[in-house]
Amino acid sequence: MTSQDSATSHGSVTQPESVLERPEVSSPEPWSFPGSQRSVLANGLGVVSYDIPGQYVISVCLAVPLPLEREPRELEGIATIMARTLDEGTALHTAEEFAELLERKGIALGAGVNEAGLVVDVDVSKRHLSEALDLLSQAVREAAFPVKEVSRHVKTRLAEIDQERAVPGQRAAIEFITTYFDSGERASRPTGGVKATVSAITSPDLVAFHAANVVPSGATVVVAGDLSGVDVVSEIEQALGSWSGAAAEALEPREAARALEAERVVFVDRPGSVQTEFYVGCPGPDHQVEGGWAAYQVLGFVVGGSPNARVDAVLREDKGFTYGIRSGFRPRRRGGMFLTSGSVRADSTVDALGLLLDILDKAREGFTAEETQAGVDFISRTAPGRYATADTVAEEAAALSLEGLTTDFTTENLRALADVDAAAMTAAYNRYVTGEWTVVIVGDASLYAEGVQALGRGEVTTIPPNPQT
Amino acid sequence: MPLDYKIADRTLANGLRVIVSEDHSVPNVTVNLWVNVGSRHEVEGRTGFAHLFEHLMFQGSRNVASGEHFSALMAAGGRLNATTWFDRTNYFETVPRGAMDLALWMEADRHGHLLDAVNQENLDNQRDVVKEEKRQRYDNMPYGNALIDIYAAVYPKGHPYHHATIGSMADLDAASVQDVHDFFLSHYGPNNTVLALVGDLTPDDGFAAAERYFGPLPATAAARREPVEPLTALSEPVRDEHVEDVPSDHLYIAFRLPVDDTPEFFASSLAMDVIGGLATSRLSRRLVRREQSATSVSAHAMGFVDGVSLGFMLIDVADGFGADAVEAAVCEELVRFAEQGPTEIEMESAMAQTERGWLSSLASQEERADHICHSATLLGDSGYINTYLDRLAEVTPALVQQAAVTWLRPQSRAVVAYLKQDGDTQ
Repeated sequence: MTSQDSATSHGSVTQPESVLERPEVSSPEPWSFPGSQRSVLANGLGVVSYDIPGQYVISVCLAVPLPLEREPRELEGIATIMARTLDEGTALHTAEEFAELLERKGIALGAGVNEAGLVVDVDVSKRHLSEALDLLSQAVREAAFPVKEVSRHVKTRLAEIDQERAVPGQRAAIEFITTYFDSGERASRPTGGVKATVSAITSPDLVAFHAANVVPSGATVVVAGDLSGVDVVSEIEQALGSWSGAAAEALEPREAARALEAERVVFVDRPGSVQTEFYVGCPGPDHQVEGGWAAYQVLGFVVGGSPNARVDAVLREDKGFTYGIRSGFRPRRRGGMFLTSGSVRADSTVDALGLLLDILDKAREGFTAEETQAGVDFISRTAPGRYATADTVAEEAAALSLEGLTTDFTTENLRALADVDAAAMTAAYNRYVTGEWTVVIVGDASLYAEGVQALGRGEVTTIPPNPQT
Repeated sequence: MPLDYKIADRTLANGLRVIVSEDHSVPNVTVNLWVNVGSRHEVEGRTGFAHLFEHLMFQGSRNVASGEHFSALMAAGGRLNATTWFDRTNYFETVPRGAMDLALWMEADRHGHLLDAVNQENLDNQRDVVKEEKRQRYDNMPYGNALIDIYAAVYPKGHPYHHATIGSMADLDAASVQDVHDFFLSHYGPNNTVLALVGDLTPDDGFAAAERYFGPLPATAAARREPVEPLTALSEPVRDEHVEDVPSDHLYIAFRLPVDDTPEFFASSLAMDVIGGLATSRLSRRLVRREQSATSVSAHAMGFVDGVSLGFMLIDVADGFGADAVEAAVCEELVRFAEQGPTEIEMESAMAQTERGWLSSLASQEERADHICHSATLLGDSGYINTYLDRLAEVTPALVQQAAVTWLRPQSRAVVAYLKQDGDTQ
């Protein structure tokens, strides 16, 4: 098997008698992504279920398409506040009562938003599934957005914004989208909004936003777990069959534009930092890219997906500059990005950034058959374990539904991995990676900004530690 | 609800305890090894060494090249890593069934013959990597050192849990190749290790494979010391205050708790949930929902084996409120809870959430293997995953109240406060 190649090529063996030969790896057993049952209720709600024997905690994910562009510009973050307050008071129950109803049955209910929509997820042991679906239904349909709870969550989000600014990785991510995307794009601003917009959000705003956007038409509920003896469609019909609401105006997904001056280096000054955070990116594909997504998944692994990947083989295992830096292609509904991020010892900032960009650029020269095969094998052979639990299956299905896809995509992608070879990898990488990097650095600018400028990797803009916003 | 995950348990002649849990739902096997050595076994001047040593286990052994543990197993479809904690060190991979033998062969090679490959170069490299891990997770993060401060405040100097697993930069700098040899020879060996194999195999398959690869290793580890003397609750409050450039005031209110795997520990853990852990906890209702003097409250109980455990609450103080007043409110609730004990609904909620959390953690082979090794290594019982919920259900409200009276009184608290310094720009 290919995975044995490295055994003979690394010859660091000072061998006394070794009794046991290194075992061969035999071919993996056939495996396929769990099969699904699909239907659509009369109100337009899609129902997808995955029966996974032995998964005693049932995962339910309700995905509601809600592109962030639907947020009013002056209330950005409203989708996030809405997600957090769905269970903070409903038509029938106060926030405290609702929390108690959930906890007495051991139900975990959470909700969040991304660029494509709202996902409400529920984990519950099988015997309490009906009660959980009833509470999910109440939260989604009858959320009341009490003034007191809304103002509390607004304050919490404002405090969270301060926390995000203080944590170097999060600070880098925020500065990255600001730099990378055109300022007219929603994608250039944090999903959860900024202080000015979050502060403006009120209870009536939430009531209106919820009524206009959280509707069954086009939404999908995924139920995964040990479903023997459970009539999923009937359970969902009972809980959500009478949910109604006029479908919101459809927004055709489009790729968010990159800023005209995105190809540059932004150094966010964080005086006294003992490490420097990097966030480096360029455009990438979405899941539906011509030629297939599989090569990009493998590329992420080979370039920056493990301690032996190209980036960490140098920056971690050779130089000892970092605990780990990761690269990967991040799809959006349309278009995507190729991102590399991680932190390095402060005094290695300039060397590490130069090495990192060289590694990323040099990868355009091509990938070997051996590393390609190792990456293909890793992605395809880890799939059974990555999708072994109810929550991972439900999350995958819910996320894909917001892109207009089903887990047939997952199955097809796993099949397509077999066709990825070194030439396909090289072509896929070169299609997007052209050396036009957006680079964000969070660290001590007084010590390292000049050195970064001297690398000649683009004009360096320095952002002071606490800009007035 | 009775759980019936299959458990087969055998100890090889060299002392390696092997536990096989057969589950054919996915064509994978999780290989999980727990070595009964952690930062609690470190000596003064060598803090952080157990963890640094764990990194060296990936840098090659007699028949495995540096980095090959990752590269060979990942290419075979393995997901793997290792972790170090106060009580133990853990190595694990989940591989397709057809790569199980390779995984066991590689594990046996490093668990039996690591020292053939250790040298100054790979020690220096991984020392640098670990120092970056420390900077990334602790030193360069707001509140990053809070847990380290908690351990130091709750446990006396010299106690096994006084220092954090990550250790100190100076001690990492002092570590030598000789230390690696000494540590390996004292602590590693089949007689100080538990191996769990969970997944697509039978007990016979698992025991035969374990014998084949680990059977030849000699029982080299030194005998474990007895647990240190149990600690009682702190007799008076301890305080450690830091005024720093942090975005908001954080209060960490910590307690000693009873040793793990006892009804008293389970009871104290449920008490922590009711006071601060649940969404409906007393502190959440009062501080977060009603007074809105905190933006969040959480509570955690960590079970340890060396005579004492740890409980702590984290309170994120809301802008405009004083940390002292919030702390006083917490103390009031601690007193009230010790006087009243939990209500019926509080018990029901804490039990239900613990049950769901436990079942979720058993949903994946990986975590199930980890629980099996945990209980077999530190608690002695390989069947714990099936019996834990039944034992938890036996904890009475009276026992929860008693745990609060004994361990969770205001005078027994250690407070680590991170307070926002004046003069921040808005």
